[in-house]
Amino acid sequence: MELDLNVVDYLQVAVTDRKCMKILPNNDKRRVTQKIVIGDKNGILQCFGIKKRDISSIFKLQPGPPITRVELGGALGTPQDKIFVASGAEVRGFSRKGKKFLDFNTNLTETISNLFVSGSDLLAGGLYIYNHFSDCVDQGYYLSNDKINDMICLPVSRNQEDKLIPILACNDRILRVLDGCDLSCEIEVSGAPQCMTPFKGNGGEEEKELVYGTSDGKIGHVMLADEQPIYKWEISNDKNFGGISCMSHHDITGDGVNDLLIGRDSGEVEIYSYDVADEPILRFSHNCNESVTSVQGGVVGALGFDEVVASTYSGWVTGLTTEHMQKRVTGSTSATTTNVIGAELDEDTEKKFAGLRAEVETLQMKVKTEREKHAERTNKAVASGNSALSRATTFHVNDRFVLSSSDASYQLSIEVQTAIDHIVLQSDVPIDLLDVDKTSAVVSYTSTQPNASASGGNDNFLLATYRCQASTTRLEVQIRSIEGQYGHVQAYIVPRLQPKTCVLRRYPIRPLSLHQRKHYIDEKRPMNTLTLSGPFSIAEIHSWIAFCLPDLPERPPTGDVVTLYFINTFLDTQLECIYRKGEGVFRSDNISSISILKDILTKEATTKKITLKIQYELSDDSIAHTLQLLHPKLDHQLMLAKKVQLLDALQELRVHEGNLDFLAPEYQSILLDAEEIKREFQKQPARLERLYGMITDLYIDKYKFKGVNVKQKVPQLLETLDSYELPALIEFFQQPSY
Amino acid sequence: MLVPIFSLKIKHKVHPRLVTVGKYDGLHPCLTCATTASKVFVHNPHSPAIAGGRMAVQDSDISLLSVNQSVSGLVAGQLDKNKKRDILCIGTQTNLLAYDVHDNTDLFYKEVPDGVNSLVIGNVANIDQPLAIAGGNCTLMGFDADGEDKFWTVTGDIVCSLALADFNNDGQDELIVGSEDFDIRVFQGEEIISEMTETEAVTGLCRISGSRFGYALANGTVGVYDRTARYWRIKSKNQVMAIHSFDLDGDGVEELVTGWSNGKIDARSNSTGEVIFKDNMTSAVAGMVDADYRLDGKDQLICCSVDGEVRGYQGDQSRRRIVEANRAMDDVKDLNMTKQNLLLELQNYEREKEFVKPHQLTSTEKINEAAIPVGSTANAELIIAQSPDPHIQLVVTSTNDTIVRMVVIFAEGLFEGESHVVHPPQNNLSNKITLPLYPPKDIPVELHTQAFISLPGSCSFHVFELSNYLPRFSSYLPMSRPPKMPESRITFSVVERVQRVAIWFNENFLLKQELTCDDLLEVHLLALRGGDCSFKMDQSGQIEITTDNLELAGDFIQSLASFLNLEHLQTTAHIPMHLKRLEELIETVDNLHVVTQKLAAEMTDHSNLIRSLVVRAEDARLQEDITNMRKGYIELHELNRDLINGYHVRSTNHDELVKSLKLVNQIIQKAAQLRVGKYQSQVVQQCRDAIKSGKMNALFKIIQAGSA
Repeated sequence: MELDLNVVDYLQVAVTDRKCMKILPNNDKRRVTQKIVIGDKNGILQCFGIKKRDISSIFKLQPGPPITRVELGGALGTPQDKIFVASGAEVRGFSRKGKKFLDFNTNLTETISNLFVSGSDLLAGGLYIYNHFSDCVDQGYYLSNDKINDMICLPVSRNQEDKLIPILACNDRILRVLDGCDLSCEIEVSGAPQCMTPFKGNGGEEEKELVYGTSDGKIGHVMLADEQPIYKWEISNDKNFGGISCMSHHDITGDGVNDLLIGRDSGEVEIYSYDVADEPILRFSHNCNESVTSVQGGVVGALGFDEVVASTYSGWVTGLTTEHMQKRVTGSTSATTTNVIGAELDEDTEKKFAGLRAEVETLQMKVKTEREKHAERTNKAVASGNSALSRATTFHVNDRFVLSSSDASYQLSIEVQTAIDHIVLQSDVPIDLLDVDKTSAVVSYTSTQPNASASGGNDNFLLATYRCQASTTRLEVQIRSIEGQYGHVQAYIVPRLQPKTCVLRRYPIRPLSLHQRKHYIDEKRPMNTLTLSGPFSIAEIHSWIAFCLPDLPERPPTGDVVTLYFINTFLDTQLECIYRKGEGVFRSDNISSISILKDILTKEATTKKITLKIQYELSDDSIAHTLQLLHPKLDHQLMLAKKVQLLDALQELRVHEGNLDFLAPEYQSILLDAEEIKREFQKQPARLERLYGMITDLYIDKYKFKGVNVKQKVPQLLETLDSYELPALIEFFQQPSY
Repeated sequence: MLVPIFSLKIKHKVHPRLVTVGKYDGLHPCLTCATTASKVFVHNPHSPAIAGGRMAVQDSDISLLSVNQSVSGLVAGQLDKNKKRDILCIGTQTNLLAYDVHDNTDLFYKEVPDGVNSLVIGNVANIDQPLAIAGGNCTLMGFDADGEDKFWTVTGDIVCSLALADFNNDGQDELIVGSEDFDIRVFQGEEIISEMTETEAVTGLCRISGSRFGYALANGTVGVYDRTARYWRIKSKNQVMAIHSFDLDGDGVEELVTGWSNGKIDARSNSTGEVIFKDNMTSAVAGMVDADYRLDGKDQLICCSVDGEVRGYQGDQSRRRIVEANRAMDDVKDLNMTKQNLLLELQNYEREKEFVKPHQLTSTEKINEAAIPVGSTANAELIIAQSPDPHIQLVVTSTNDTIVRMVVIFAEGLFEGESHVVHPPQNNLSNKITLPLYPPKDIPVELHTQAFISLPGSCSFHVFELSNYLPRFSSYLPMSRPPKMPESRITFSVVERVQRVAIWFNENFLLKQELTCDDLLEVHLLALRGGDCSFKMDQSGQIEITTDNLELAGDFIQSLASFLNLEHLQTTAHIPMHLKRLEELIETVDNLHVVTQKLAAEMTDHSNLIRSLVVRAEDARLQEDITNMRKGYIELHELNRDLINGYHVRSTNHDELVKSLKLVNQIIQKAAQLRVGKYQSQVVQQCRDAIKSGKMNALFKIIQAGSA
């Protein structure tokens, strides 16, 4: 069953950070609607309710430093209706009426990005540091190996004597469970966790279960047990939606079981309800067109109707309500059309609309005078000849550059608080831009001559202008990189603001760009080993590795020896890095990965004037193994290409003959699956070429280690590939090359 | 947002743009589309399907029509005024078939050597019968119900789209022609009465109402013209597959409905371009028509996808309310966005009340805040650079120690895409960026340049918007010395002062300084795309244009004539080179025709032989004479190979023929362009007559003198 929810836009505040909107619980006996509290980047905290579809403000505070988190708390066992607000290193507390009762400076060096309040315990987290305060007294801290993305505490309905179990969601794909301020257990998850929420809102029966969402869009359920965590279900991200930015629980279906509410970076709000076996089923999905920063459930718009409230990046608070309302009809801007329908005008909305328009008009006037004043000031400054500087209009940009493991490409999404005029993408590495269906922007490429400025070493391999349609605030681009080629993609973002300004964002394409962190590797595979030794510190080798591979924190993890595992998202080959002061050991079943690592690491070391001793140990079995690994992919692609080729001819046959019973079942099935085949083929353009490229690299790299240049044999290899047979290919790789 | 009132699935592919609807029995509309295997299907849900002759019935309501050549044009309409039924016209690359579906007979089957790229049925000026007009390789041909070619004219390039609309509100339809050279030309009879230059090949045209018509370009642009004025246009990254005009909201005003390659259908207000409705099909839209398909007295908009999905939409007043509600929601969103923008701007002025001094900024602030000295400006100008070769340069400069990090130029028709980016390497930044410009066509271009200015090392920039105007004939640079004189020249005289012509020069050319003159005007021009020319005018109003580029001369004359408001102008052309070329071409065409006939005869021989061989081999098989059967089939195989080879020869021969014919047509068109008004159509008509009657000398004379 699909849920049928109506969209209502309530109001817009300034740009919001993640998890800065909450719905206050009702502690009144009277039946009233719940209130919404939201904090924005202008530092304004406001609380409002809805009365007859109108906003009624409860309180609104003056602007201040940007608000990074809003949490609710209160004495244990009472409704959690005290509002805690983090901004900078400070935490402030307000009552539901807006009275300040707490002003606490944590003295953390980082900005507080995570906050949790339970009774008199206050947990604050920055990028790497977690700090525990009890009654505002420092109880201790924990330093995480990688960035902390979110933090929650179990149990939810905690009694005074219950121990608090904080859980940190860290960027290195680990949920760290703490005991006080010490690590008690690490839960490995399949993606970088972005947010967590207690299962069903209360943490499950034993209050030890939680749901997490990852940056690559997966949702999982895990239960803390005494020794090993118990993994329950995981929803994969087949449709390539954005990462999970926020989640919570609320019973919107009215079946007595809390439903899971999800907000994504790509703008989707999703509602999952649980079946008898506690497995989630998607019930509703709505796209807000900009990233969702928090999602909550409650009774807000009208009594008796549950609704989901979402806040978005540019500050819209939107309700998805179960209340069925007549489409509210309003007059439009032009008088003529109003006359045509005339009859049904909703006075409220009309009034609201007129108010808004008046507001905009006064603003326009004000801006006009300010603009003149500004021009005058500028002229004066120029005339007086002083060396003053004028700054550009600033605006917020919310951007993400994430490797999507399902198709081994990067998703770049850029979101601006206001409409985008155009974005210029420039890259100094060869990359492919893929078309994203959702993007309506018109692309135009500037042809580039890669050799024109070869001396500069800063070639424009790609120059593309994305001119956005009116009122587009978000642009998504899919980028395909080639391993071994590294550099930067730059985005020049120009919004529709006056005076026009531009912000430049850079995104690194790392040498091993298609690799992703993993927690284990398959030890049985034949591996090639590269060993480096020399007089380098652990910080140095860590920085070199962080240069080569994505997903790594800037600082080296604690401990003398660091072990990291990676998987190639395109080929499924693996890589193991073990390094310490003075030594680094890299093992992979893909000889190309080893070759790239060797090249980059030696180059990095040379620039630092460190002499390295390099040893490698190649396993000939690994080639056959890697090819074996590639075989199903290659085979599938070749079959697909063949089928697509046949499709048109078969379809023509069908029209000619009218009846196709005489065809071999193989061909009949192609016709039957025509749609499916076409869709798959369109979804992965040039996939075959990409595979060919990697096999060629593999071949060249294999012989590079033997000191043989086999470039002249590449055409022969491609010939072998054209009439692909796995044994023949392996045979070709094994041939001695002289 | 848009809900279809019916939808059905036809199990055939539909070729894009080849969709029409006709009432072949005078009562019931039948959807007709071209499909794979050179067939056309007629969907007839209302009366029993027709079979026999060309038609074969496949399903109960689908009849298939074999054409045996790939279909390139399809239209149904009342070609015969006496019959109250629609006739189906099918165009291929060589022929035009007019077919009466109801009677199952051919009205005519005509050879059209220029091919059929687009077809319409309707009336044109001066001819009282309805015509089937076919647009092909630079030509337009109109046939009446008897297959008589009543209309013939030439146009600048391969025709991509045709439409009939009352362009000048005179109660009679004009023929609007979109072609591959980006031009939309309007023909009243044989005469071009208007010409609009767009930015890409014009792939779609449709009549809206009155003098309004919609157009679509190959680069995903859709828009509306009212006469020569463009009302609006939008551009999408998707391809436009079809445009159609239909009143969906029942307010009596038609909307422009666009079908896209991604399956999207949107209806836009024809006066503003605002989207009123949209829907999505599962695959690319192939075509759209309107007809009373449910036989309830109301027309529906019928959309076909390439996979054979058909949806019908009804115009409906109640839909209006939903539109209004949605629009109000959008308006609120838009207003809120404006409000946010204004607030941001205000915030900025607030912050900028006091200018900061350089020492007040930290180094990170310097990088992130795009601080530039107060009063810094950017400037863009077009200059004529002399070395190494003369060319036009766009020079963007900035002042006050700032650098130009990048320039983005939005200019339509100047670059491959709609914009061009110049992004110099990091280590080679300065306060100046130059970009050489080579205009590919002679059209006026507005350059909108955005210069990204900052102090060195900054991560954000001030964007200065600058604009420049590139006049129509910018690629012809005046030079002091006379060029190597081309042998062709066009002479004519106008009753006009030399000074007026000098003004025309100043407006349409990129000049270092304004041209002034008293009694004699003589300009030598260097053409950037090759082929120099010169322009001379004396006091008596005698003008001489010396150039080997006929098209350019035509453009000069047309532009000058419209500047001087000349209604008619006769010119004399001395163009020996072009005439020689024409002579050669005509000879080639004749030779190719002979070869074609010979090949056709050969093919007939072969097919007779095949028949006998098959019979012989089959006989042998029945008599179990395996040796002879084998022999027969081997021979058959060889013959087949010969046939295939023959086919290749024929197809190259045909290509050659088409190419030559296109060139002949283009020369006639260029010759016509040298004249203005009635003399222009006179050239076309007389040339046609001369070719038809084979009078080559007359043809040359017409081209030179403008009349026989």
